[in-house]
Amino acid sequence: MSTPLLELRDLATHFPVRGGVLLRARGTNRAVDGVSLAVERGETLGLVGESGCGKSTLGKTVVRLLDPTRGAILFEGEDIAGHSRRQLKPLRRELQMVFQDPAESLNSRHTVGNLIEEPLLIHRIGTPAERRRRVDELLDLVGLPATAADRFPFEFSGGQRQRISIARAVALGPKLLVCDEPVSALDVSIQSQILNLFLDLQSELGLAYLFIAHDLAVVRHVSDRIAVMYLGRIMEYADADGLMSRPRHPYTQALIAAIPVPDPSRKRARTVLGGDVPSPIDPPSGCPFHTRCPHVEDRCRSERPELREVSRSGSIPHQVACHFDF
Amino acid sequence: MKPGVTSRHLLEVRGLVTTFATESGEVRAVDRVDLTLDRGRTLGIVGESGCGKSVTALSIMRLLPQPMGQISAGSIHVEGTELVGAEPETLHRIRGNRIGMIFQEPMTALNPVHRIGRQIAESLILHKGLDRRAALVKAVELLERVGIPAPEVRLSEYPHQLSGGMRQRVMIAIALACDPALLIADEPTTALDVTVQAQILELIATLRAESGMGVMLITHDLGVIAEHCDDVVVMYAGRVAEQASAQALFAAPKHPYTRGLLASIPHLETPRKSRLPTIKGMVPTLADLPDGCRFNNRCPHADDRCRQQQPALTSAGPGHQVACHHWQRIASLEVTP
Repeated sequence: MSTPLLELRDLATHFPVRGGVLLRARGTNRAVDGVSLAVERGETLGLVGESGCGKSTLGKTVVRLLDPTRGAILFEGEDIAGHSRRQLKPLRRELQMVFQDPAESLNSRHTVGNLIEEPLLIHRIGTPAERRRRVDELLDLVGLPATAADRFPFEFSGGQRQRISIARAVALGPKLLVCDEPVSALDVSIQSQILNLFLDLQSELGLAYLFIAHDLAVVRHVSDRIAVMYLGRIMEYADADGLMSRPRHPYTQALIAAIPVPDPSRKRARTVLGGDVPSPIDPPSGCPFHTRCPHVEDRCRSERPELREVSRSGSIPHQVACHFDF
Repeated sequence: MKPGVTSRHLLEVRGLVTTFATESGEVRAVDRVDLTLDRGRTLGIVGESGCGKSVTALSIMRLLPQPMGQISAGSIHVEGTELVGAEPETLHRIRGNRIGMIFQEPMTALNPVHRIGRQIAESLILHKGLDRRAALVKAVELLERVGIPAPEVRLSEYPHQLSGGMRQRVMIAIALACDPALLIADEPTTALDVTVQAQILELIATLRAESGMGVMLITHDLGVIAEHCDDVVVMYAGRVAEQASAQALFAAPKHPYTRGLLASIPHLETPRKSRLPTIKGMVPTLADLPDGCRFNNRCPHADDRCRQQQPALTSAGPGHQVACHHWQRIASLEVTP
């Protein structure tokens, strides 16, 4: 098998928790704690989980906006986990990120044209005329009129601003986009427009996505494979159809059951999960999910289950971090 | 029912117009909206940002930002009492007592420097005339009722010590303290995780069944509407586009906007990685609304009539109303799944 575009091996990102008057380290927030995953070329890996599960920290660590505590980030086989800023610069052409809130990630003092041209300038690509042409191409690619180049981000709606940040992210022709909740701040009628844009760009440019979101229905729609994260760890990983049709982990089962379905005639037996997500600063012993799991047994409280393969769909394993089979 | 009260309904809103004074002139955030809610029922209000769903709730509570927001026409009756133009004393008697309200972000609605117990006790002391001790005893009961473990301990804690889901439970306890007849919940679970959202919505449903109160549930999530509401009002740009029972609305949506919204949501059955049907264009701002039907610039069926003449709500079946000139022709078309 060829090398995956991106491979994470036992990746961990911890933050010191400081407190008291002297701000001494009092503990460790294990936001990402031993994650191994792969993203294949031109494919989408969906990463779902609730707030505080570490999915955004994972995304930021992959593009090296954060430094990992341990583990490897293999991009086209090269470990970039310890790269310096200078070593990272050429990689920025290959690896880009789209954030949730384009109002915050776009500098409102620059015109849209300047914002999209900026990555080209930083990497000294093309003459001014070529760059100008490239900006027009990119605007067209994301479905914005060429006249948008001379306007400012605040003149645009949320959906259009997200188009601008996507144009900026794909300007250098990256191979991988890390998308962190890219549609969750948008109105329902705008979400589908942006999801379609992601799908179009993937088929036109052969982009791969690490698509991070909390909405399982959205993630399922765009993903080839899905990983479910809880308290810094992967609970389940499978091809998208396999995960949705036959979820094996009690947490994935509860997540799917909790999605409200827009069909009142569909009466389902709901397993409403009790309790809240525990703090990653002081995670439960054993299985991180045991405090909320409806099937918990003594073993779960003391022994942490590792990811194990339970079945296979073609080349894609279905992995579950649970002691039992459900 | 009190003497002189004629309304049969718990909540009756008729012809509500709410305007805001802005730099670019006066805008109508809510434009001639009618709503009816009966005891023991849940009415869902669904729409996107700027559709007027929250302004409708704030108008009912008479909590519009002052002095910009004004109710400029219409009537709002709660248990037969007219709230439009009511004296402040009347509003004080009703708000927090007969009407409870919960908001999207409990952290901004709770007072961060007061203990939980005091915040729940406040309305009991104010409206029910309880002394402090009796109010705190009742507060413990309420916390128990909304499913907060160790309520005696929580009583002396501050909001920041609770999780988001727990804070929303506290908000519900405060809203329910005086046994309101009407609970207005404005995006109560939008800030919460999906598993916690399920807990909170189940809790509201249980409490409604126990107390017989009416619930007005405002959300942008059609899934939440389908699972928790009896009746639905779909709002677009300050107007009611369609209203029906939840069953009828999801089985046979009539308005092109409702149909477009339902089609654009990825379902678990939608073929993966297929292009989703979309509603073209963007949600209009209130300062820049099209003439005629406000949906005309995004509607695939719009013609000259739609661009000139505003459609009135017309009956499209028992209890089903739609504001579209062409709903009959559109209804015969295939609904995109």
